[in-house]
Amino acid sequence: MNAPVVQLSNIGLGSVGRPILENINLSLDTGHFLGIVGPNGAGKSTLLNIIAGLKAPDSGHIDLFGQCLRRYNRRALLKQVGFLNQLQERQPRLPMRVRDVVAMGLPDFANPIRWRRLPDEPVMDALAMTDMQHLADADFRQLSGGQRQRARIARALVSKPRLLLLDEPSAALDSARQDKLFQLLRQQCDLTGMSVIMVEHDIAAISSHVDSVACLNQRIHHHAMRGEQIPESIWKAMYGEHIRIMSHDSGCIGCGPGGTQHD
Amino acid sequence: MTDFLQQFFASAVMRESLQPAFLIALVTASMSVMIMAHRLSFLTVGVSHASLAGMGLALTLSLPLLPAASGFAVLIALLLALMPRSQGISEDAGTGILFAGSMALGIILVSLAPSARVDLFGLLFGNILTITPEEVSWLRLLGGIILAVLMLAARSWWSIAFDSVTAAASGLPVTPLRLLLYGIVGLTVILCVKLAGIVLTAGLMILPAACAWFWGRSLFGLWVMSVLFSLTGTLAGLLWSYAYDWPSGASVVLALCGLFIISWSLYGRVEWLKHHVLKQ
Repeated sequence: MNAPVVQLSNIGLGSVGRPILENINLSLDTGHFLGIVGPNGAGKSTLLNIIAGLKAPDSGHIDLFGQCLRRYNRRALLKQVGFLNQLQERQPRLPMRVRDVVAMGLPDFANPIRWRRLPDEPVMDALAMTDMQHLADADFRQLSGGQRQRARIARALVSKPRLLLLDEPSAALDSARQDKLFQLLRQQCDLTGMSVIMVEHDIAAISSHVDSVACLNQRIHHHAMRGEQIPESIWKAMYGEHIRIMSHDSGCIGCGPGGTQHD
Repeated sequence: MTDFLQQFFASAVMRESLQPAFLIALVTASMSVMIMAHRLSFLTVGVSHASLAGMGLALTLSLPLLPAASGFAVLIALLLALMPRSQGISEDAGTGILFAGSMALGIILVSLAPSARVDLFGLLFGNILTITPEEVSWLRLLGGIILAVLMLAARSWWSIAFDSVTAAASGLPVTPLRLLLYGIVGLTVILCVKLAGIVLTAGLMILPAACAWFWGRSLFGLWVMSVLFSLTGTLAGLLWSYAYDWPSGASVVLALCGLFIISWSLYGRVEWLKHHVLKQ
């Protein structure tokens, strides 16, 4: 058995009085699709940034692909990680074609001693995955919000990463596009053995695609595998007493039977 | 017209200043793309004014003018890169403070220096026509360093300007690269002061890329276009300066402003045509 793609041990961040993340333990195998859900300000994005090496935790230990993430090997390890950060409010201002935006995701893009042109096929393949190939030569600034998001997702996919970290990838996408995206990710996990950690708000939208769901609010309250139910007490611990849970179907992760309706 | 051009190229002063002026135009236009992308326009204004303090210091301590000013400009640029983050002061306020403070220090130092040695007007508004051979070799050295670093780091800087978080997540050392960018901007300012002077330097470092911004679709295209705009503006400015005996730096900046207005209005016209004619 290979080493897990990601292994987090006792990750903590923040001071004793105001913890942001506490005692996070998580292990992710090859081809696993993990969804992280939780309320606003639960530390979901922060956890993703820690795994992406953007922020050092105050305590605990991160292993990527069986190697401890450190300052000196950070670069080499991160080359195998695709990262999509949260959609920002500000508008892009650099004049760039969509294909160039996607090409920035290739590990050799910023290599200072590269003289040859980057290959075109990976870029077009990634654009095809998100149905954006017809806009390859369009000006990125003139795209709609959803098209921009799909180009950004293509950028995260273009290097064929072993681990993909996505922070609310469905933002700005309509529900049909969201579903297509989750299907694409599921398919990539199954076919290429890519592992995905995805932060999302809407557990109902992701539950039929992911392998497991982690409920995060400062700490991981529950880690449910497919087909497993998340007890109502967990939801209440995470979101407070006012939440009510509505059941979808028995195959859906997280929904308890006989619940009533959404708050 | 041909007579005038013959005279222009035959004049010894112009022949000697044309090459350094073109070198400055090439280097500043190349850097202006990064200055636009990273929104460092105000930084170039701040650093160019702060360089007066460096020159004043060099005059007071009898150091060589350009090397001392270069070191000082890099120092100021790095200080500006580091200051806002650590003290919670916004970057534009920090630039404003350093800009005014070092300009005041510079004016006092320069006014204390023996007046025969200082051409304050030349420092402030630039004069490429009085360039000395030592200054030319210093400009070549600086220009070479700037272009070499730019060639190596351009794509990283571009990637950071597009999305610094994603750039960091792909393993780029964002903070060192940003410091390098600020330092190189500082060097470019010094290079530019000889042509356009402290007051007008920002024009040369912003206008070429601003002209190209309307038309460019990629980093390389932007670079080529801003270099072309910059060389055209410099030549036009020097021709003007020669024809009417205008100050050279101001003429070049004015020519670039003219190019910007042409580029801007042309772009508006083209967009209008695209929407109203092609759609029918």
